Amino acid sequence: MYRRLLININQVRNRLIHTHNTRLTLPSTKCKERESFAPVAWAPCTSRPLGTSSISFSENKESSTSLSEDKGKTPEETEVNAEVNTDGQRNTEMNEGTEISNATLTSQLETEPVVKPEDRKQVEKTKSGKESLLELLGAMKVEVTTVRKIRPSKTPRMSERPDQEPMESTHSMFQRATAEGSQQHGTLNPELVAAVSAAASTLPNRHQAESELLKQLRKHEAIPDTQRRADIGHIISDMKVGKRPNGRSNVRPTSQIRFDDDGKGYTQDRGITSELDGKVFCPTLWDIDLANQIVQATNQMPRNGFEEMIQWTKEGRLWQYPINNEAGLEEEASVPFHEHVFLEKHLDESFPQQGPVRHFMELVITGLAKNHHLTVQQKKEHIDWFRDYFRQKEDVLKEAEAYLN
Amino acid sequence: MASSCSQALRHHVCKSSRLLRVHLQKSWTNRSFEGAVCVSSSFALNSAADQQPAVSSPEEIVIPKKKTWSKEAVLQALASTVKRDPTASDYRFQDDPYLTPKTSSEFKLFSLSQESGRNAAKYFINTYPKYFQKDYAQPHIPCLMPDTLEAQIEEVSEAALIERIGMRKVKAAVDLYDQLLQAGTSVSLDVTNQLLDLICFYGDHDPAQENVPEQRNEETEDVQDEPQAKKGRAAKASDLLKATWKEKNNAERIFALLSEPNTHSYSALIRGMVKYGAYSKAFSTYTDLLNSRLKADVHTFNALITAAPEVKEKYNEKWELIVDLLKQMAEQKVKPNLLTLNAVLKALRRCGTVGKSQAFPVISEMKALSIDLSLASYSHLLAIFYKPGAPIQGQTDILQEVMNEVSGKSFTPQDPDDAQFFITAMRICLDTKDMEQAYRVHELLGVGENWRLLGNDFQQNIYYARFFSLLCMMENIDVMLKWYRDLVPSVYYPSSNVMRDLLQALDTDNRLDLIPQIWKDIKQLGHANRQNLVEELLTLMAREKHNQEVQESFAECALDIKKIYDTGDRGKVLLNWTAGSLSDLISVLLAAHRRQDAWDMLKLFKTHNRVPSEELLNKFLMCVKEDGDVNQAVELVQISAGFCLPGTPKLIQRVQQEFELTEQQRKMLSDLEIQSFNSE
Repeated sequence: MYRRLLININQVRNRLIHTHNTRLTLPSTKCKERESFAPVAWAPCTSRPLGTSSISFSENKESSTSLSEDKGKTPEETEVNAEVNTDGQRNTEMNEGTEISNATLTSQLETEPVVKPEDRKQVEKTKSGKESLLELLGAMKVEVTTVRKIRPSKTPRMSERPDQEPMESTHSMFQRATAEGSQQHGTLNPELVAAVSAAASTLPNRHQAESELLKQLRKHEAIPDTQRRADIGHIISDMKVGKRPNGRSNVRPTSQIRFDDDGKGYTQDRGITSELDGKVFCPTLWDIDLANQIVQATNQMPRNGFEEMIQWTKEGRLWQYPINNEAGLEEEASVPFHEHVFLEKHLDESFPQQGPVRHFMELVITGLAKNHHLTVQQKKEHIDWFRDYFRQKEDVLKEAEAYLN
Repeated sequence: MASSCSQALRHHVCKSSRLLRVHLQKSWTNRSFEGAVCVSSSFALNSAADQQPAVSSPEEIVIPKKKTWSKEAVLQALASTVKRDPTASDYRFQDDPYLTPKTSSEFKLFSLSQESGRNAAKYFINTYPKYFQKDYAQPHIPCLMPDTLEAQIEEVSEAALIERIGMRKVKAAVDLYDQLLQAGTSVSLDVTNQLLDLICFYGDHDPAQENVPEQRNEETEDVQDEPQAKKGRAAKASDLLKATWKEKNNAERIFALLSEPNTHSYSALIRGMVKYGAYSKAFSTYTDLLNSRLKADVHTFNALITAAPEVKEKYNEKWELIVDLLKQMAEQKVKPNLLTLNAVLKALRRCGTVGKSQAFPVISEMKALSIDLSLASYSHLLAIFYKPGAPIQGQTDILQEVMNEVSGKSFTPQDPDDAQFFITAMRICLDTKDMEQAYRVHELLGVGENWRLLGNDFQQNIYYARFFSLLCMMENIDVMLKWYRDLVPSVYYPSSNVMRDLLQALDTDNRLDLIPQIWKDIKQLGHANRQNLVEELLTLMAREKHNQEVQESFAECALDIKKIYDTGDRGKVLLNWTAGSLSDLISVLLAAHRRQDAWDMLKLFKTHNRVPSEELLNKFLMCVKEDGDVNQAVELVQISAGFCLPGTPKLIQRVQQEFELTEQQRKMLSDLEIQSFNSE
């Protein structure tokens, strides 16, 4: 039964991926042709949520199956339909998501597994009205709305006790969006902490089925994922090839438009002596004096307010006028984007290679990869925190056989 | 069950993917639209290229270069949109309308006081850093915090030496170096070289405190009223020469202590010697350098070339020495730079006729080494061919060639002498009376950042004075007045001499009717107390007859001028009445039929012990006759007699004939006649 279901799901999912790939290859090839960083970085973002959503959906399915174990036979068709529907709906959401930013999407998806055990609890709580719920689930349209309604409740309840309150169905999409929007700004930690604890505490009961399913799913998932990764790796290696050969970064034309490879031009402090470009390397006393003489000989008086502001900017007295979206990026300016996006390398040492912890951590780095509010250092610290945490809970996890190595 | 499930799945997948495609297309068109908007704005230059998929094979990826803007890019773009407002004063005075300068002396006073106020604040912050420790700025702004002027490291160590070198404390650094040597610690060659740099740069004297004295020098230089460009330069040179290179000073001593001096050490020593006038010593040090089988660096050669004209007497010898140095550069494979070229050209200025023959070969040689000429090079070139005061013998074509070369280019300052170009070029234009080239020079000034190369306020004034004198001389009055309205007083405060030129230009073009306007400007520019200028103005007004309207305005103007004579500045008499000015003024008033005012003025002859001319009195009498005022005519005769003028009898005769006199008046006149006859 499970196997058949799984095969079905996988088939559909693969098809889904393929279709998505065909759809996505359209923009992604465009990206390649466009030859700019942004779309390339964007491409994995669009393909990613698909993978994670599929995982979450499998998890969801597990919960439902566990439900079904408890309660005997449940109409799996409707269940799966419902899940697929949510998936599909999510996809449409994603499509609509030209206005909804990728970040919100990922945060949504990140918190996805967190919700699921709760949902189950909710379902267990409202077992009395379970028949009606199943009916509701059967009717797809209504089901869609419930899924939507279930999700909003998670964010506010997360910070409180999740078990106590009954489900609030009055939350609107808008409220959810705003709540999530506000939550993005760094209150991600408690959420994830809660999620981990919830996951860890609930794991011992149904670990076997869960891990089996996860393994199965991951096998299939691994292929496109690695393919995709290889693809990106290819792109990046190409980037580097295109990047190095021209050593333009040293040559700075004096005109205001300067071309170079990486964005370190912004933070560079170019004082008055920059007029003598050749001299800047080893300014001896004589060179400084020459620069001074030139400055004294020429007219340095500002002719209008803007020129005065330029002078102040050069002196460092004025906040730099933002000339791109990297204003004030001093500490991160030297960090290339892939340090932000590809965080897998930080998982390799002390995290288990597989299992729920690994799975969870992959979700964490996916979220972190898309978080533009944190510096790379902060992201590393974030991952380090989890490393410490899982090390502390190693006994518990081992006991639960969730810590696989 | 499973199959139905999968079918349902497939259905939804299809639906959603279709939706996805639609939305994606929408989003892509949006993006390209954004791109198009970007292109239309002037900042985005090649974002359009990003948006156009042009590569055929998907494998081939060419990543575009990232554009890096300077942090002032936006501000520069904005600044370039602001044009000069000919009705506004300089930007630095716009804060306070009360402090808008109207005269050149006010301009100097205000700008210098603003600068000295800044320096005073800096001085206090740096002298009492303990009161200025609170850092309000977030993020931290280093330039607002006091500089540390006291050495932080107390112990005797190399680090302390480096710190003192960094703070440019010559004496302290030398003392510390000696202490280090006495204690037996060796100082690295690098640090010793830095120390040598420091000592040589300041000629073994502690530098005077920064900012404050520097500004003071400038001040004394600026305050001299309209000095020639040469004077300013001479003052600077004498400042430098005050401190001369002393025999066996610390630099030489420390240099002698070095076991193995390297190029840098020699370079520092030679440059210091050249800077402080020990030219022949510099050359002997250079011989030492060659003897110890080292190579000199480009700075050493530059210094030596600068010193070359000083050590030789004859033009030929000077030039031979320079050629010799250049050959040695080539031997030692030292690549000359722009400063080398400028040093050679500057030296050629002092080589007389040799300079003229060698200047172009030098320039072509340097161009072959791909050295771009700076404005200083052109300035030296012009100075070689056009000696001030020397007769011009058909060399205008060189200025023209130079202008052909530089026109439309934007120059960046690279040499302190760059700022001399515009002044020199305009001087030559004035000497050769070449209006066309003057316009080209002025046009060049407007290109890019070239305005910075005009130099400080003092130089700007010289430049505009020359340009404006030339305009007065060569241009017709309308064009000249256009320039006058454009330049005065927003960038240029003409001197009284230039205003006289302007009056002469008005005279030659018969536009004397503008004099009252010009007088207002003269008053505002603070030249109303210039005797010569005011007298010239009065002469011009009195000289010819104009129509009634103009005469009226002249009369008003004359009365205004009279006020200047009357009211001295704080009890000090600014102007002295001369006979000429008084008679001019009276004739202007008479021409406007202001007899009463003129009569009052006539009395001033007596109070100021001046003697009126016969001509004036005749003119006056004509005017009196027109009005038929007998009494005044008699009085006029009396005044004339009072001055014992030789023409008094004629005057009496005229009065007797032309006026209807009473008995008493007749008697009085005959008495005067006898008197004047007797006195003769």
